[in-house]
Amino acid sequence: MDALPRDPVLLATVLGTSLPFLSMAVILIFTRANRQLSSRISVAAIGCSLASALFLLITLRAAPGAIQYQTEWFSSGNFNVAFGYYLDPLSLLMLTIVAVIAFLVQVYSLGYMAGDPGFSRYYAFQSLFAWAMMNMVIAGSLLQLFIFWELVGLASYLLIGFYYEKWSASQAGKKAFVMTRVGDVGFFLGIIILVIGFGNLGIPELNTAGASHSIPQQLITVSALLILCGVIGKSAQFPLLTWLPDAMEGQTPVSALLHSATMVAAGVYMFSRIFPFFSASPEAMTAALAIGTVTMILASTMAMVTYDIKQVWAYSTISQLGLMVMALAAGGYFAGVYHLTTHAGFKALLFLCSGIFIHSFHTNDMRIIGKEGGRRLTIPTVCMTIGALALAGVFPFSGFFSKEAILGVLAAQPGKIWLYAGLIGALLTAYYSFRLIFYIVLPQGGISASSDSGHHEPSHDEEHHGYIFWAMAVPVIILAGLTLILGLFFEHPLQGFISGMLGHGSASVLLVQHTTPEAHGIGHELLLALGVSAGLFGIALAWFEFGRKDSSRTGFLSCFPSIWRLFDLRWFMDIFFRKALDTAVYAGLTSLFTKNDRRIIDGAIDGICFFTEAGGRLFSFLQSGMLQYNLLVMALGAGVAILFFLV
Amino acid sequence: MTSMEMAGFPILSAILMTTVFGLLAIIFIPAERTKLIKQVSLGFATLGLVLCIWLYFAYDHQRGGLQFVERVLWVKSLGIYWFNAVDGINLPMLLLTAVVLFTGIWTMWELENRVKEFFALVFLLVAGVYGVFMSMDLFWIFVWYDVSLFPMYPLIAIWGGTRKEYGAMKLTLYLLAGSALILPAILYLWAQGGANTFDLFELQRIGFSAFDQKLTFVMLYLGFGILAAVWPFHTWSPVGHVAAPTAVSMIHAGVLMKLGAYGILRIAMTLCPEGTAYWSNLMAFLACVGIVYGALVGLAQTDLKYVIGYSSVSHMGIVGLGLATMTVGGINGAVFQMFAHGIMTALFFSSVGYIYDRTHTKIIPELGGLSKTMPIASSFFIIAALAGIGVPLMASFWAELLVFIAAVQVFPVGGVLALAGLIVSALFMLRVVQKTFYGEKNPRWEHIPDVNPFMAVPRIILVSIIVFFGLFPKLMLDIIQGTVIPFASRF
Repeated sequence: MDALPRDPVLLATVLGTSLPFLSMAVILIFTRANRQLSSRISVAAIGCSLASALFLLITLRAAPGAIQYQTEWFSSGNFNVAFGYYLDPLSLLMLTIVAVIAFLVQVYSLGYMAGDPGFSRYYAFQSLFAWAMMNMVIAGSLLQLFIFWELVGLASYLLIGFYYEKWSASQAGKKAFVMTRVGDVGFFLGIIILVIGFGNLGIPELNTAGASHSIPQQLITVSALLILCGVIGKSAQFPLLTWLPDAMEGQTPVSALLHSATMVAAGVYMFSRIFPFFSASPEAMTAALAIGTVTMILASTMAMVTYDIKQVWAYSTISQLGLMVMALAAGGYFAGVYHLTTHAGFKALLFLCSGIFIHSFHTNDMRIIGKEGGRRLTIPTVCMTIGALALAGVFPFSGFFSKEAILGVLAAQPGKIWLYAGLIGALLTAYYSFRLIFYIVLPQGGISASSDSGHHEPSHDEEHHGYIFWAMAVPVIILAGLTLILGLFFEHPLQGFISGMLGHGSASVLLVQHTTPEAHGIGHELLLALGVSAGLFGIALAWFEFGRKDSSRTGFLSCFPSIWRLFDLRWFMDIFFRKALDTAVYAGLTSLFTKNDRRIIDGAIDGICFFTEAGGRLFSFLQSGMLQYNLLVMALGAGVAILFFLV
Repeated sequence: MTSMEMAGFPILSAILMTTVFGLLAIIFIPAERTKLIKQVSLGFATLGLVLCIWLYFAYDHQRGGLQFVERVLWVKSLGIYWFNAVDGINLPMLLLTAVVLFTGIWTMWELENRVKEFFALVFLLVAGVYGVFMSMDLFWIFVWYDVSLFPMYPLIAIWGGTRKEYGAMKLTLYLLAGSALILPAILYLWAQGGANTFDLFELQRIGFSAFDQKLTFVMLYLGFGILAAVWPFHTWSPVGHVAAPTAVSMIHAGVLMKLGAYGILRIAMTLCPEGTAYWSNLMAFLACVGIVYGALVGLAQTDLKYVIGYSSVSHMGIVGLGLATMTVGGINGAVFQMFAHGIMTALFFSSVGYIYDRTHTKIIPELGGLSKTMPIASSFFIIAALAGIGVPLMASFWAELLVFIAAVQVFPVGGVLALAGLIVSALFMLRVVQKTFYGEKNPRWEHIPDVNPFMAVPRIILVSIIVFFGLFPKLMLDIIQGTVIPFASRF
């Protein structure tokens, strides 16, 4: 504590990561009634966090090694829990991403949420989220990471179910919490096993131990597989992926922040956080690679059939997270982290643009938005197209560079199947994103007349939300700008930054080896051509089906109704989980145990009581108070006793 | 050890006397002066709380061991001592009792029916609880234990709700059955000790044969286990909770159930280390079943109080699992969980009590949408539910973490199964929160006012304690483990 005022780095870390918590407390306790003040406090707090994060990034960009602060939280027996910060390129980068996106989303929300009765509560939860997420990012130990990881889940639960009077919203919040909890219990168990087997949860210690194989291989594999469960839950990987599309019940800025750019990225972040540890277990890496691949393909197929714009981006988030997991699992540390960075930018962009459409047209259906003149909102239309181009991996947008990096890593894998899966994923991604874009930009039969003549929506906006439109538009423009420059100018600096400092750690050998992927067998140029053509082919297909003048606008999938249904019902995963929960838990164990409580345990006890009482009643007949009966019983008793002793 | 040992002011007896004098004072106030009775009750409860907080700060956790010892020979021919002391195990329990009594009385501020008798009985109940927690003499522990059981019957049968006679009778019979196992075990130990003493620590020094330990341990374990709602002796507890009035539910679930676990730790495990080792697999098995079973049955409940009752069964299973590991971490976690769960359940019942007093129902399908009409009352319940799920930075998270680490180490299969119970408990808590508080505004409850600031105070205190020890677990764990480390070294 004494060091706090003298050490600007520590001061910035502490301030940056705790102010949002303070702002949440102040809003909830004092300023609930004052909406303006609440939002200002929250935005100011996250603004300070952003400033601190940038300060840290700039100050420490050339630091010789990771900086660590640590103090004892408590100890129990020989189990010591430390509270600390771990600042290395990865955490600094992620901290900046979180702060930037959270700040932009909060500014955007000033417009989007204006006039909402729960405005103060919304900003309190936003602050809670920002606090938990930033603390998770700079956590110095796996346990601390887990703690804030859970709090991120809590904030997410509160924000998804923000409109709790809506049944579907509270249902979605519950589903998100419980499904991620399934993964988290695995994560928790993994931590427990590490505590027992290794005794130290510090992130650098774990990474060193993993890289130098100083802990038993079996322990690494078991704990890595269990910790992977946490990634699966949080980053919505197969099979725990269906909560994420449902989480779109939250407001669009919440979706942008939590369910695309930051919260769901926590799983991938954690994976890269203890990457050397994970890579010490080939089994865990293979499992992750398979899971990531399946997730990416499944989610892409789901995105091809939905008409809800938010759902499309939600599925694409899942599939891009799958792609990041694939990259990391294939050993592409930089590729995974880089895609995490670019994806955070363009996915937040896509959601925030969609939010403007949804706000203006009061619908999520892309067909209606297109018909009612969505393209007349020039800023979001242009920005969304930029985002979609980035998502589809088109040069020179940021997604192109990170996707190429990932394909390069996949090509280096011994089996070619991962590369092909990645290419198919890229194709599908481009197809479904431009399906959406064409629906909005080139609606069938042009813009309908009713909205054309009425100018209803724009006038509505001018009336009520004149400046507020700009609160929403400015963040979008900033994000679009980032999407443009992040790839073109920042790939090499980022690569140097992320991989550079790692050279000083003892885990370096392993990392360097993985961060310089060389495509074996496939030349770099060929790979580039393949990647680009996959994206362009997807866009072309979408244009052929949805964009060109007299296209059918149904998509080739409508020729196969059963496949359409399969994709639309999310490969029956929800139905399966629902059924499993209903039969195994509600109708199975719960009902069985409840009956056991009522019938067997209580039944036995009540039975004992009944027979005791009945016995008493029976014997009470003997105590009738009539002398002759008493005498009779006495004589009988004496007779029996005499017989007993005589015989 | 001399027959008399008194160091300075007998603070423990003073804490006990706050309840006895409180009881006497209430008796002498005319029954119609209900306001005065409530003020006097709250006054004495405050006094007890202040003394317990002072004790918490005055206890030197670095030195550990027994402190504030009061030891006077009471009945020489039987070796009964007035022997009170605190260590790291009962200090949290005393603090818990004081907090729950204080907040419980405040919660009952709006009671109208037979106010005088109610508060008198509550003080009698708590006198017994304080007595058990501070006494180190087997005779007195048993006496206080029965003192604490007796008032439950009238408290539930007179002021209770759903099926109150049935609940009261069931609870009384169960707990007396427990007593019937405890008393012979205590007398047997006294006789086998042969030193004519009920002093817990003298008996501990004597040591008992392996057979004696195995026999008495299982008797004490089952006897106290009934009170701790060990599966399958748990069914009295949800029924009793449902039937009891709010403050009694708070004391009952918050404190009384801890008496059972405390008895196992303080008497059975202290005197029978070999017996503990012999039966630890059984303890762990019953605890793990209880954790999962309680959560699963809780899923099917439609009465708010039943839900909390079953969550208590599940959470007390965590205490039992921690004890069964016989390791420093496990017992630390178990004691911490006793404290954390006590505060959490008190908050639960206190919130439900408010809702029930206003709506006259605690059937979940009839409620719904309460967050719209009473956001503050609802947030208290939701915070308790989050603590119950084990959300980090709330006290029970740390307790569960410590117990699960120890459990996975000692009983891998059971520990992993119990961890799976965490998923179920999340599902069932969130399900209750959703069905009770979320959803459309229910016009039936529209006229109901939210908690006023005065009635919010006790709930705010409970929330603050949960969060405080969640942020600074060290402040509780250091005290606990100062005693637990030497304690666990004997296994």
